[in-house]
This record gives sequence, structure tokens and C-alpha cells, in this order.
Amino acid sequence: MANRVHIPTNNSALIAMIADEDTVVGFLLAGVGNVDLRRKTNYLIVDSKTTVKQIEEAFKEFTTRSDIAVVLISQYVANMVRFVVDSYNKPIPAILEIPSKNHPYDPAHDSILSRVKHLFSAESVASRH
Amino acid sequence: MEVVDHKTHNLENGQAAEEEEEVDENANVLQFMDSMDAYLTLIHSLSSNLRQGWLELASARHSMGAYRVNTVLLDHTSHPAATSLLVDEGKEPHFTLCKWGSSGNEKLFLGEEQSSRDKSHPEIRRRGATQLSEEKTTSENKASCEIDDPVQKERSKSLSVFGTLVSPKLRDAQLSFETALETLVEIANRRSEMLCAFDKVNKKSGGSKD
Repeated sequence: MANRVHIPTNNSALIAMIADEDTVVGFLLAGVGNVDLRRKTNYLIVDSKTTVKQIEEAFKEFTTRSDIAVVLISQYVANMVRFVVDSYNKPIPAILEIPSKNHPYDPAHDSILSRVKHLFSAESVASRH
Repeated sequence: MEVVDHKTHNLENGQAAEEEEEVDENANVLQFMDSMDAYLTLIHSLSSNLRQGWLELASARHSMGAYRVNTVLLDHTSHPAATSLLVDEGKEPHFTLCKWGSSGNEKLFLGEEQSSRDKSHPEIRRRGATQLSEEKTTSENKASCEIDDPVQKERSKSLSVFGTLVSPKLRDAQLSFETALETLVEIANRRSEMLCAFDKVNKKSGGSKD
């Protein structure tokens, strides 16, 4: 994999989105939408026709772009590509799993909380004492 | 005697170092727990903001018609994002939201936040208010209006994708999603703190296992 160019300190960066239509429209109303000269957007609208491959490709694209600092992904969409989301461990862009209209947030599936929950497991507590 | 004193001194130094290490470890664990608590609280707040936004969007769709509020109308011509992030990369990355403008418009960001708060909580004008307080209010309004204009222009531009005349519910949805964005940036910062504290705690516990 090519080395990712880090976002220079104090430069502006984009917020990318992989979410359902209403969430994307809402955040576009808030001014987050960006379309570059090649007509590439910083969002993917996920509906019933969107394939897992498309979601995976969008996730990989957004996490390798140097102009994106945060990727918002609906948690139910993240569950479709859980293996890719959980294997991502770079600080930037930050991956934030958000609730969607029909799928409330579940902390048990959050990749960040999954990563840190072993701190509270019986094994890790025993090993420290 | 000197050898015994030296050994006692070394023991005391060792104990002090261990105590200091324990204090550091406790501080790291506390920081981690605080960050995680803040992260979960903010997620809860985000859920609430998003629910509000979705409801307002649904109301706007109901009043304007589904054909007027959908993704087919989105602007696919080249345009930059009006809202972006400033990233401070360091040990702990920090994100700052820049709403409706490029960097250097923090005044705009702070000013419009004040004005939007004022709009959501309008004060009732009381009869017999003194002239002095009225003049002060007028000058404050002028200042906030000056700051508001570019922000309102950007907001209107964003809304204009869905037509010239839009439902007030669509404007409300816009504000709700703006609030959600602010919460998301806070969540991103808490995430950074949490991961940083987690790494520190992990390093210590990895060291103690050896």
C-alpha cells in the first residue's frame, strides 16, 4: 500500500460520509458537501441497491484521501464492512460510527469501543495484579 | 554502615519511583475513563440531534413534496465544501470545525453561534425600556448582522439546491444538522483523547507483564 500523505498541520480538511439518504442530505445542508474537478464527491449514499463492494471501495477511498480528516459512517453500514472498519487503526481520518434513522447506535458494535473493551476483561485485570 | 545506608537509600528511591509510576498509571486510567464517558455522552447527544434533524427533514419533505427534497437535486458540479475541519496533527490529533467559511473565520463561527442562539431564544421587548439599553441592543444587533450576512448567504446557498422558497422545517433541519456536526467534532476529539490514553495504559500494562 502506498504511504499516505499526512494532512499538513492547520490545513482545512473535509468530512466524508457513507450513510443513508436522509443523513447525507442533512449534512449536505450543513455545508459539508464537496465535489472536485473530477466530479468526485466526499459522500456515498447507501440505499437498498448499494453493494458491499461499493461501500468497501468508498471506505478505502475516503481513508486514503489526504484531504479527508473525518469519515462518518452509519453504524449499520459499518456492520456490512465490519472487517475493513475494524482493521483500520490510523488516527486520521477519524472513523466515527453514527446512528441512522432505522438503526439506533449500539456501543457493542462500535469499533473504537471494541478495541478498548479488553481493558475491562477479567484476563487483563488479573494480569495486572 | 555506609553500605547499609547506600542500600537503604536505593530502596527508598526505588519505592518512590514505583509510587510515582503507580500515580501516573492511575492518572492515565482516569483520563481514559473520563474520555470514554464523554465519548458515550456525546454519542447520546448526537443521536438526539440527528433524530431532531430527521424529523424536521421529514416534515419539510411532507410540506414541499418528496420530489423537491431528494438526492436527485444535489449539485454535482464542482464546488468546495462550505464547512470544513482544521486539523492539528500531533501526539493527539485535534479537530476544529470551520462552519460556512474558510479558516480565519473563527469570529464568524463564534458570532453566528451567538446570533443563532439569540434567534432560538428571542427576548420579549418590554415597554418602558431605557433608551440606553435600546441603543446598546441596536449596536449589538448591527454587529451580529454584519457577521451573520456571509453565514446566512452560505446557508441560503446550501438551501437553494432544493428551490428558492423552502419550508421553514428545512431551515430548522439545517440548524439541527449543524448542531450535530459540532457534536461530531467533539466526539472526534474525545476519540483521539481516548485512544491516546488507551495507548498509555496499554504500554504500562504491557511493561508490567514483562
